[in-house]
Amino acid sequence: MSFDSTPEALAKPRPQQILPGFGLTMGYTITYLSLIVLIPLAAAFVSAGKLPLGQWLHVLLAPRVLAAFRLSITASFVAALVNSVFGLLIAWVLTRYEFPGRRLLDALVDLPFALPTAVAGIALTTLYAPNGWLGRLLEPLGIRVAFTPLGVIVALTFISLPFVVRTLQPVLADLDEDLERAAETLGARPILVFRRIIFPALLPALITGSALAFSRALGEYGSVIFIAGNIPLVSEIVPLVIMTKLEQFQYVEAAVVAVAMLLLSFTMMFVINGAQLALQRRHQAKR
Amino acid sequence: MSIRIEQVTKFYQGVPVVNDVTIEIQSGEFFVLLGPSGSGKSTLLRALAGLTNIDHGRLSLHGRDVTELPARERGVGLVFQHYALFRHMTVADNIEFALRVRRMRAAERRKRRQELLHLVALEGYDERYPSQLSGGQQQRVAVARALAHEPAVLLLDEPFGALDAKIRVELRETVRAVQRRIGMTTILVTHDQEEAFALADRIGVMQMGRLLEIGSPEDLYRHPATRFVARFLGAANLFLGEVSQQGLHLGAATLTPERVTPLVSSGAEAVLVVRPEDIEISASDSTPASRPFASGVVRALTFAGHQQHVSIQLAEQSGVQPATSNGHEAGTAMTVDALRSAAEQSALPLAVGAGVSLGVRRIHALPTPISSFHIMARDGAEGDALAGSAVLTQLVHSMQARVIRHGEQSSRGERLDAGICVLPLRADTPSALRAAVEQGARRILCIPASAPLPLRMLIHAGDAARRSDLLALVSSVMRHLPVQTTAVTVQRAEASRSEVLEAQRMLLDTRADLRGAHGLDLRGERFVGDRSAWLTHLATQAESVLVVMGLPGRMAELSGSLPRDHAPLFGATSRATVLFAIDAAS
Repeated sequence: MSFDSTPEALAKPRPQQILPGFGLTMGYTITYLSLIVLIPLAAAFVSAGKLPLGQWLHVLLAPRVLAAFRLSITASFVAALVNSVFGLLIAWVLTRYEFPGRRLLDALVDLPFALPTAVAGIALTTLYAPNGWLGRLLEPLGIRVAFTPLGVIVALTFISLPFVVRTLQPVLADLDEDLERAAETLGARPILVFRRIIFPALLPALITGSALAFSRALGEYGSVIFIAGNIPLVSEIVPLVIMTKLEQFQYVEAAVVAVAMLLLSFTMMFVINGAQLALQRRHQAKR
Repeated sequence: MSIRIEQVTKFYQGVPVVNDVTIEIQSGEFFVLLGPSGSGKSTLLRALAGLTNIDHGRLSLHGRDVTELPARERGVGLVFQHYALFRHMTVADNIEFALRVRRMRAAERRKRRQELLHLVALEGYDERYPSQLSGGQQQRVAVARALAHEPAVLLLDEPFGALDAKIRVELRETVRAVQRRIGMTTILVTHDQEEAFALADRIGVMQMGRLLEIGSPEDLYRHPATRFVARFLGAANLFLGEVSQQGLHLGAATLTPERVTPLVSSGAEAVLVVRPEDIEISASDSTPASRPFASGVVRALTFAGHQQHVSIQLAEQSGVQPATSNGHEAGTAMTVDALRSAAEQSALPLAVGAGVSLGVRRIHALPTPISSFHIMARDGAEGDALAGSAVLTQLVHSMQARVIRHGEQSSRGERLDAGICVLPLRADTPSALRAAVEQGARRILCIPASAPLPLRMLIHAGDAARRSDLLALVSSVMRHLPVQTTAVTVQRAEASRSEVLEAQRMLLDTRADLRGAHGLDLRGERFVGDRSAWLTHLATQAESVLVVMGLPGRMAELSGSLPRDHAPLFGATSRATVLFAIDAAS
């Protein structure tokens, strides 16, 4: 008993690195990140700073901008939600079962990611337009997809699917199947095994995946503009508002909207990372 | 009877990974399934837990047949090698999982949980998460969790495999103490012989999906039935010795075995097991106090704490032969392993190169009729073909038995009454077979050209029921070949009701005899037709089979019986491998 009680997770000294060059590589890392990430972001802030803060609200609270924000956030949220359900299903099928064509199906998941977004947009529009293959079938039912908020959701769901699937897959593959066997021998029915054992273990990855999908959807432009129809106050998304303002040479106003979106993304990132960290800390896998 | 495993068989890609295993385990017994990895022990345990389906057989727990029940309704507690604790739940929630599933009230749950934590000496750890515990503690929690719902049996699948040596021993004692305290029938699966000895009331040794032997640790250690078990349960010297009315002969020594099996006394050659601690070493100019059997030279000394390993090369004229083929080349003298206590070490200090004489304190003869294989071929190419055949390769490999090649000229006059004679199966086999029997051959294996490894072994039950010799031979083959074994009665279609019943009884008797004497199980089958039709059916079957038949020992009867009763087996198209057991001539 006495020597049995030390947890294994005691801090270990960091092993000596074999390859030298910390200073050099760190320097490049900072320079690179600054050039590619930090400076452009800072430029947005600088550009937006030309407008006094009082004017900011005026820009952001304009009905058209407000409606765009509402649509972008809700559509992205719905898309992430839909994908968290079906992405989980797809990841499950792809990792748990062996069947002919599994690798092909697996590759297919990446397609929305690899495809130029404009191609996706045009394809979806052709499909869902009132005279398209699917649009024609849905029209009599009173469901209009193209040129409505629903179209925005469809496009965002399409492009954000890989994020959920690819985040879940490795976690699912690593999930010890003995856990399910243990739960089963303890008397749990399959539904209970999923609800109490598998789902909680997947939750952190599911949250990360959905958050990634949400962030991706929020910034999506190419595939949405074709199917959305971009009707102000109805089916106009935030990136398009920024684009419109740029085209009308309202650079500062465009920057203000961009910064608002940036801050929104940051907040999202912090909240989700925090939640995930808390979850992970609770059941850190350790052997 | 707490656990009954009956004729359980499980195939994986056409190969039986669990092969007709029958075990009965008493209430409160601690049973250990011991075997190397891939022997089927874990599969059997998971089949019992309901986590894997079986292809044949029945499983019952406390008299309740659970073969068709899903795992959650079997009421077993299972502990895994890697604990399989639910990491997002506290220790308390883990242990209470089975109770929550059963909708037990919170107060009762808490009471039960505290009892269990007390049982595994983890009081006060209720609110910890598994990641905050050491490996040993996690496995204690897993044991407590597996016991929460008061299962009918506790199953442990290599539970100490992932732990450090010291914690392993400690946890082993905890598990044994818990098992004793609550009297829970327990099966533990392990590949660690020491663990099995420390825990088991009885051990079942598995190999190639077959339950080789069952017995108490001491019984299996002292009286193994196979070379595999003799060596898996500790070091063993295996010699080829002779059996006579006086006892067992090993070199110059004659000993009375502790246990006499009818089979050993009837054969002239036997496989003898001598544990290293049963070999006595004395100075070359003195005589060992026990039975002196050979002299030799010390080749290596190894320090092992309180004991000393001594490796001794025997003098060539000692006339002691090894029973195994590996590590021994013809012409070189064999090496013997001995183990000396501290007292022996101080009484006679040894150095490498010192001459010693050896005595043997205790000896055991394996009850197997297969001491060695004698290949009888016309020429070298045929001999190579026989030695390379799938069935012989597998038998020799799993038995580690010696193979002796007899040339056409030297075979005359050589004794063949020991071991198994191997002949090629062709049209002229009957005459070669007669010649071999004349030379004293008692067991003859006939292998057709390029025959694949047999998947089934068929025993002519009419022969099997008469002869315990034949069952001993069959059990030896069963323990070393992954074949499905079936006893067959052959009957005419117009057989009367009483004849049919008689045949049924014979099958049941055969099965009971095999189980009683050897702890192995087989199937029964009735073939409708005459013997020749049955043999024709076997010889032409696409599936590869091994047929075991008895033959009369008297030359006159044999000469008549071979062409009359067994002709289909020697046909040009025959694909069946045949093993003949010859009756004693008297």
